[in-house]
Amino acid sequence: MKWMPFILKHLRRNWIRTGSTAAAIAVCIFLFCTLQTFVASLHGALTQGVVRLVTRNSVSRFVSLPNAYEERIGTVPGVERVAAANYFGGMRDVNNPDSEFTNFAIEAESFLAMYPEYMLTDAEEKAFLGDQHGCIIGRALAEQFHWKAGDTLQLTSNIYRTGKPFDFVISAIYQTDQVRYPGTDDAILFFHHKYLDEATGRRAGVRTFYVEIADARQAGVISHAIDDLFENSEAETHTETEAQYSANVGVLSGNLVFLLNGIGLAVMFCILLVTANTMSMAVRERHTEIGVLKTLGFSGRLVLWLVLAEGALLGVFGAAMGLLLGRFLIGILPDLPVVGDLVRLFPRMNVPPAIAAAGMIIGMSLGLVAGLFPSVFAYRTRITELLRRA
Amino acid sequence: MLEGNVVAAQAAVQLNDVCKTYKRDGQYIPVLEHIGLFIPQGEFIALMGPSGSGKTTLLNLIAGIDRPTSGSVLVHGTEVTALSEGALAKWRSRSVGFIFQFYNLIPVLTAAGNVELPLMLSPLSKKQRRERALTALRIVGLADRAEHYPRQLSGGQEQRVAIARAIVTDPHILVADEPTGDLDAKSAEEILDLMQALNREFGKTIVMVTHDPRAASRAHSQKHLEKGVLLGA
Repeated sequence: MKWMPFILKHLRRNWIRTGSTAAAIAVCIFLFCTLQTFVASLHGALTQGVVRLVTRNSVSRFVSLPNAYEERIGTVPGVERVAAANYFGGMRDVNNPDSEFTNFAIEAESFLAMYPEYMLTDAEEKAFLGDQHGCIIGRALAEQFHWKAGDTLQLTSNIYRTGKPFDFVISAIYQTDQVRYPGTDDAILFFHHKYLDEATGRRAGVRTFYVEIADARQAGVISHAIDDLFENSEAETHTETEAQYSANVGVLSGNLVFLLNGIGLAVMFCILLVTANTMSMAVRERHTEIGVLKTLGFSGRLVLWLVLAEGALLGVFGAAMGLLLGRFLIGILPDLPVVGDLVRLFPRMNVPPAIAAAGMIIGMSLGLVAGLFPSVFAYRTRITELLRRA
Repeated sequence: MLEGNVVAAQAAVQLNDVCKTYKRDGQYIPVLEHIGLFIPQGEFIALMGPSGSGKTTLLNLIAGIDRPTSGSVLVHGTEVTALSEGALAKWRSRSVGFIFQFYNLIPVLTAAGNVELPLMLSPLSKKQRRERALTALRIVGLADRAEHYPRQLSGGQEQRVAIARAIVTDPHILVADEPTGDLDAKSAEEILDLMQALNREFGKTIVMVTHDPRAASRAHSQKHLEKGVLLGA
């Protein structure tokens, strides 16, 4: 620790260079943390809900299945519950497609029973179930539109054209527990599938059946059993785990993760070169001083360590800046145009501690690797050579 | 053999048949040839000679920052040439004080910080280091400039700080490479006065490389180098 003030003084020597190098590392760590947080959120989406299956039309998720399938799916051994759910595509302003937000028509009782993530009190649930025009919304949505329980609203679907808007009463605001159920979306509106079905003259059908199963290990067997039920029918089904379904819906396949990681690595490598170059310049400018230090009795190893420590410290500064930037930007990403639409697929995105720690380690490693060549130069170059360059 | 050891023990510096050859662009260039030198303890010696005569190289060999191609260098009884790099660095930190022509202070450190630098390698506490640095600065008459940075000091003052840095570890020997070469006449005189005082009052052995006959006249003796050969040896 006694060397820390000495190292810090050298870092403060040229504020612009130190600042710009730290900023370069910060950008790198920011990108790493943001991309990895995104990937982690995706992974979270993929790994949650293993006890839930999703059955859809095998042709496309945009083609409905008959309502009657629900009862038959319920007869498959291992199936606990079935709930219909249709993406509604409701917009607050029919002339403004940007006013669309996430809203689903659900078979409320069974859906809420299989989704403990969306928490209501008994009274709230009763109120919701008892009102066909009732809906529940997440807290984020309530805050975004300043809605509260009891408010009425109208939505026009861009999928189900009925010629008039759908009327809703907000029955309750559901709560989420991000500790028990990380990543739970609190920006969704749920309303009764029965309302949709009746409003569309029973033509809405069911886009997806959510199927709760008793044993996650039986997911494959049950999926096949459900699909076998409807084989060779007019509407064959495709059943998969909810995680697989989310991955497909989100378009975020493994290739995208690979691409994101690839971009991160490329950026990291570029920043490494820039930082290494800057560090080399900084050390070469100080060759006389390094010669003096070695003359005074600083061993080559100590000088090497000091230069490496300087690099590592620079990396840590940069990483800390990057993390702060990442936390800030991830916080505002959902509100940004275009990007926000994608980010909102992964609610409550935040930099997990493991990724933050990895970011710090990568930042420090970047500094260390960047400092490696100049430190070896300082270590190996003879004193007379260092002093002669003056 | 016994007699030789006794002589070595009494000598501040003893060079025996020292040769130094550099290799540049595939060619071997002899810089010092068969140098024999004996400097008693407490001596103030000036090494003189034209540019390229090998003065600084000889000084570097005595100070242990370079190694001879052949021959031996004994400083206060230590065979410098036999030490490993690590041991040599440690030996330098304890036994040799350096004064450079261009002071070579670390610009990001204050005068006290610069003087404290060699003590960073010792087990002394921060407080002890600071006390010793201030003592050294007092000796060179710059205690009131302890918190000044090199850019806030004149050339003469910078060289005084450099001298304080050289003596702070209480080394056996001080080596100075053109210590007045970058100073005006008045400052040069002050620095030479200081070096004489260090030699006289503290018994420091001083080896000074200089071009300046006036500076050399302050030394007890002068040695002349010409094309790598010590004249009159």
